[in-house]
Amino acid sequence: MVRNKASSKKQQKRGVDFKKIKRKIGRKLPPPNNATSTEIKSKAIILPEQSVASEKAGLAVSKKGLTLKELLQQTSHHNPKVRKDALIGIRDLFLKYPAELKLHKYAVMEKLRERISDNDRVVRETLYQLLKSVVFPGCKEDNQGPFISMMMAYIFNAMTHLAVDVRLMAFKFFDLVVQHYPPSFSLYAEKILQNYEDILQKNQFYLQDKGKLKNALAGLVRCLTLLPCNTREVVSSFEENLAGQRVLHAFEPDLPKDPAGFDLIIKKLRDLVPVLINCFHEFIPLVHATMHLDAQSFDCMLYILQSIDLAVRFFVYGTGKSQPGLCSSIHPYEGPDMTMWDQDVSPVVLKKLLVVFPLNQRHDLSEKDGDRYFILNVVITEIFLHLSEWSYPPPDLLEIFLEFIENALSGKTSSAAESGKAFREKHLLSLLPFIPKLVSRVSRNWSLRILQAFTKAFKDSNPESSVKLACLSIIEEMLVPRHGIPSLDASDPEILGHQTTWIRELPLLLIMLGDKHPSYSKVVLHLQLRLGQCALLNSAVAQEYDNMQYSLLEFYCTCLEERSMFYGPFIKLARDSQELSVCCLYYFSHLDSSLLKSIAFCCLCDDLEPFMLFRIIEVLHSAYKAGHIQIADHISFFITLLSRFRVFPEEIYTVMEGDKKMSNRGIFKSVTSVVSSCLLQMGEDSLVFQILEEVILDQMSLRPPIDNICAMLRMLLLLDSRPTRLSDQSVINLSSFLSGYLIDVASGIPEDDGKSTSSIHVNTCHYYFLPCFLLFTRSEKFLKLTLDVMGSLITENGSSPFSPNCILNATDHTNRIRAIVEILILMHKDVKIQRILSSCKSEIDHILQNMLLLQASKGMNMSIEERHNIQCAFDRLKCITSTLPSATPII
Amino acid sequence: MDGTEVVVASSPVDAGISCWDLQSGAEHLRHRSCASPPHGLVCVADRFFASSQLRDSSSSSSSGSIFYWSWSKPQVEVKSFPAEPIKPLAANREGTYIAGGGLSGDIYFWEVASGRLLKKWHAHYRAVTCLVFSDDESLLISGAEDGCVRVWSLFMIFDDLRREEAGHLYEHSFSEHTLRVTDIVTGYGGGNAIIVSASEDRTCKVWSLSTGRLLRNVVFPSIIDAIALDPGEHVFYAGSRDGKIYIAALNAVGSSSNSYGMHIIGSLSDHSKAVTCLAFATDGILLVSGSEDGMVRVWDTKTRNIFRIFKHAKGPVSNILVVRRPNDSNPRNSQTSSKKHGSFLSPPLDKYLNSSDENEDAKVFIGCQTTFSKSVDASYRSCHIIIDQIKELQQQGSSAATEMEMERLKIDSQKSVQMVQQWKKMYENLHQFCVNELLDADHAGVSN
Repeated sequence: MVRNKASSKKQQKRGVDFKKIKRKIGRKLPPPNNATSTEIKSKAIILPEQSVASEKAGLAVSKKGLTLKELLQQTSHHNPKVRKDALIGIRDLFLKYPAELKLHKYAVMEKLRERISDNDRVVRETLYQLLKSVVFPGCKEDNQGPFISMMMAYIFNAMTHLAVDVRLMAFKFFDLVVQHYPPSFSLYAEKILQNYEDILQKNQFYLQDKGKLKNALAGLVRCLTLLPCNTREVVSSFEENLAGQRVLHAFEPDLPKDPAGFDLIIKKLRDLVPVLINCFHEFIPLVHATMHLDAQSFDCMLYILQSIDLAVRFFVYGTGKSQPGLCSSIHPYEGPDMTMWDQDVSPVVLKKLLVVFPLNQRHDLSEKDGDRYFILNVVITEIFLHLSEWSYPPPDLLEIFLEFIENALSGKTSSAAESGKAFREKHLLSLLPFIPKLVSRVSRNWSLRILQAFTKAFKDSNPESSVKLACLSIIEEMLVPRHGIPSLDASDPEILGHQTTWIRELPLLLIMLGDKHPSYSKVVLHLQLRLGQCALLNSAVAQEYDNMQYSLLEFYCTCLEERSMFYGPFIKLARDSQELSVCCLYYFSHLDSSLLKSIAFCCLCDDLEPFMLFRIIEVLHSAYKAGHIQIADHISFFITLLSRFRVFPEEIYTVMEGDKKMSNRGIFKSVTSVVSSCLLQMGEDSLVFQILEEVILDQMSLRPPIDNICAMLRMLLLLDSRPTRLSDQSVINLSSFLSGYLIDVASGIPEDDGKSTSSIHVNTCHYYFLPCFLLFTRSEKFLKLTLDVMGSLITENGSSPFSPNCILNATDHTNRIRAIVEILILMHKDVKIQRILSSCKSEIDHILQNMLLLQASKGMNMSIEERHNIQCAFDRLKCITSTLPSATPII
Repeated sequence: MDGTEVVVASSPVDAGISCWDLQSGAEHLRHRSCASPPHGLVCVADRFFASSQLRDSSSSSSSGSIFYWSWSKPQVEVKSFPAEPIKPLAANREGTYIAGGGLSGDIYFWEVASGRLLKKWHAHYRAVTCLVFSDDESLLISGAEDGCVRVWSLFMIFDDLRREEAGHLYEHSFSEHTLRVTDIVTGYGGGNAIIVSASEDRTCKVWSLSTGRLLRNVVFPSIIDAIALDPGEHVFYAGSRDGKIYIAALNAVGSSSNSYGMHIIGSLSDHSKAVTCLAFATDGILLVSGSEDGMVRVWDTKTRNIFRIFKHAKGPVSNILVVRRPNDSNPRNSQTSSKKHGSFLSPPLDKYLNSSDENEDAKVFIGCQTTFSKSVDASYRSCHIIIDQIKELQQQGSSAATEMEMERLKIDSQKSVQMVQQWKKMYENLHQFCVNELLDADHAGVSN
């Protein structure tokens, strides 16, 4: 619009006077006052993507709405704050979407590794946290090798960085890597050790701050623990395999340990150890100057010592050279390297490190400082002991250390406070494994002193403490001879004294542990078993082992009076521990009857698993066969078992016999059969029978429940022959209460209501009658006597003379008569008994007469039903007697 | 193959040694007066039986006894009395050595041909209960009452230098069993084989000889007294005290789905009483089991049925062997042979180590493989036997020498007979040929 106006104006002018406008060249007209600038200027605004507008619906974003790609870009931002925020963002993102990490881990690591040598401390810290808490745990399952190797170059780079802080941080990063991927150390061991050496050498310049030194040293300790120096670890991994249930003939890939790097590591360590010792020496003036040891320098000293210890261990054990003076030419690593180590490092350690021992043994120290010095001393002792495995130390030095060990064991150095004691016990653990070797090497005087201290430590320590556990394994090592290691000379009375003290302590320990610490009890039981197995080696130990059984009574069961038992921890232990303790019984050269009694009570306890019960019988029988139990004791064990076993429910005609919860009758039946098979193996039947006869008759006169009588009768019959071996007197005794037993069994038979149940009842009944019937066939006299007793029982007044325990007493006459008739009918059904019955006609007639008598005398007082029942029974009996063949033609 | 396969059984009560033909079931001669403990009966190179004897400890103070029987005579032929009661015995296949385990845990190692005690060492803390040679006979495996199973290398035992270096004698010592070891069997493959051990702790454990590790632990419902390994090593059979023979898998990965327990895949059952010993026939299918009730049952493992039953005695059976009975000792010439071979069986075993001549005689030579070596026992023997025999041969006087001479003459005559027959045959062939030729010529002549 503006423009149109202007042009129309011009045209008007031109039309007026056609005046030529003269224009100077090179000069521009100034713009008219009212001109409008028509220029368009623009600046470039680069917006790769507008965060608000772009489509991010399907992508994972951080809290600030940034995607992973954006965040990674920001990690190389020049502003440290942005870098830090980006790292935090990545952390958020991965926490929210763990799958994202798996997908992009290589890309992520590619970016993140650049930040390892970041100049800003906060960024490095954030990266460290990110790696530690998210990235490494997230990538655990994957193949970590390539992932780690991506990082390593940058870590090494950072380790040689100019800035000390970056360098130290690099060690921390490496520490993290090693934690998550242990093989990385052996891959880069040489470089790492070199770097540690460099930085420790110049520590006076860089590491004035003890906190930083401490961090670096902690990493070193962790690295060195990865060296193969722990012989114990191999053993434990082997034991894990024991349970291995794998295919037997399968191909097993064996991975030989790659020893190629050992040479280099040895070389590096040789350089490193003197540096560490120098480092340690810098702390010595501090120790001497001030009494107080601050936490930071204590930690540093401890880490230094631990590193030295680990290095020494690697040399001594890891390279397979553990026997001093043994020149086996098999091992390839004890070439020049080993000898050089021997030449220059071992003396250095001895001269510079061990001479400062013991550190500040003053008594005026505060408790905390005392403890700290104690720990340091323990570690130095450890170094010394490892070294002495390898080369014999000078004797005067040895004395100092021995004295320290003795004091530490006997607790002389420790303060009175209970907490201090527990604290020191924890550190004693590392010294304990050396004791067996030490005792066998040092002079007799010293070995006795150390044993004395050890015994004290063993006795004083808490039953549940780990020191006790460690002591037990040491004791095993010293009592049970093993490969190569000579056991103690037991002919020395003083050493023997210590050994007996240990052995005597075992049962007490078992009782003290109770059932609260099953794993501890198992260790003790295992030691006991080992002792038993090799006890014969030495008569004194065997004697002690045998004596152990008297203290073991309490472990199983003690009974003060009849019926009041105190069950020991045995009942409540787990099955494997129970089995171990039962196996120990086998190795007593003579099992005492008191212990057998106690075990028998355990067997009778309702809480004992049936499996254990059978196991106990089995092991005791093996012990008997090996001549460790006397025959009378063994038999009385069996009889106790059979006569006292509580069968429930007492009602014998329950249908559900299979149900274990409802009834343990099935178990009792199998116990009976197991015991009888044992008895058959015991030797000459007639002799065993003689022993049994008396005991069983005694037990029967006590009137136990029906089941127990039945079991005992079966026992007796098993060993009996035909004709019976029973003496006349016992036949008379037996018949008098067997008639009662028969009546009890028969009176329990319920009235027939259905056919199906009655057949079961007959079967059950048969189980109980069978032993009696067998006796009848073996002795005619026995049958006669029994029938006599039955006859007299009919007229007898009062309750049954038999079995007060039985619920189903044949209390009244009707029941009793019914039962007797039932028995006779059953006998009549049995072909063999029928034949003998025919010779007893007079006795049966006597019974019939008595029944008539009863009817006549008491008929007035009975109800009609009762009278009817008796009459029925009478008729049935009459019926079968008439069918009996007369006695004469058969015989 | 020469000889028939026979089942041999003995028992701990004095019921002799009975032999039955496995295929026909016929009973052979019953050898008298033998009361052997478990693992106490061996057949030495199929030539004669050796058995350790259970004697009342009260009667014969401290010494044990080992008896020899030959195939042909029921009486004990040689009696030896070692220094202490011996229970288990083992002999190598060629019958050169006998190893015996003593009550004190010592193992004795004798040379059969001379009866010399070559070595004696303290092996266990308690009585040795079983002894077996490995498949290649370089290892001796022993089990004891203390639950320990130990593997001894025979090389190591005779190598003083290496023994001192190692500090202990055994190759492996397995002490995971908690109670008495009752039986051990070895698989095939010499030093790389597996062994299976049974114990009174109700377990059988499978060990690897090469790595010295426990490979498998099988828990049974009852104590296992005897085991037999299937020739293919697919399964092993375990005779238990409850009368069953359980079958446990070796190859399959264990499953606990069945009623008996992990790895147990079935059972053979007929015995009313405990199974005390097991042995496989050479065909690998028939399994022979001895029981506490005195019966010997032969099972077909394919069908799991009983194939045959023998009755040994009233008392329990303690040992079962399946061996080949050589043919030449049939009753017809037993009379003559026993008379002739008055001293045919080896001399009694020595009681003590004879230290004086140990050094010079420890060497072992391989005997010359002449045609008559079969009659003169095994091929390995120590040098002084060879020297003795050479002497005898030189003197031409001794029974062994005449016997060898006889043997040689016999072979000569056999050869001559063969030669004669060959000649005869050739002659007949020639005769036939000539006759044919003549006939043909005649025939041609006629036709022409």
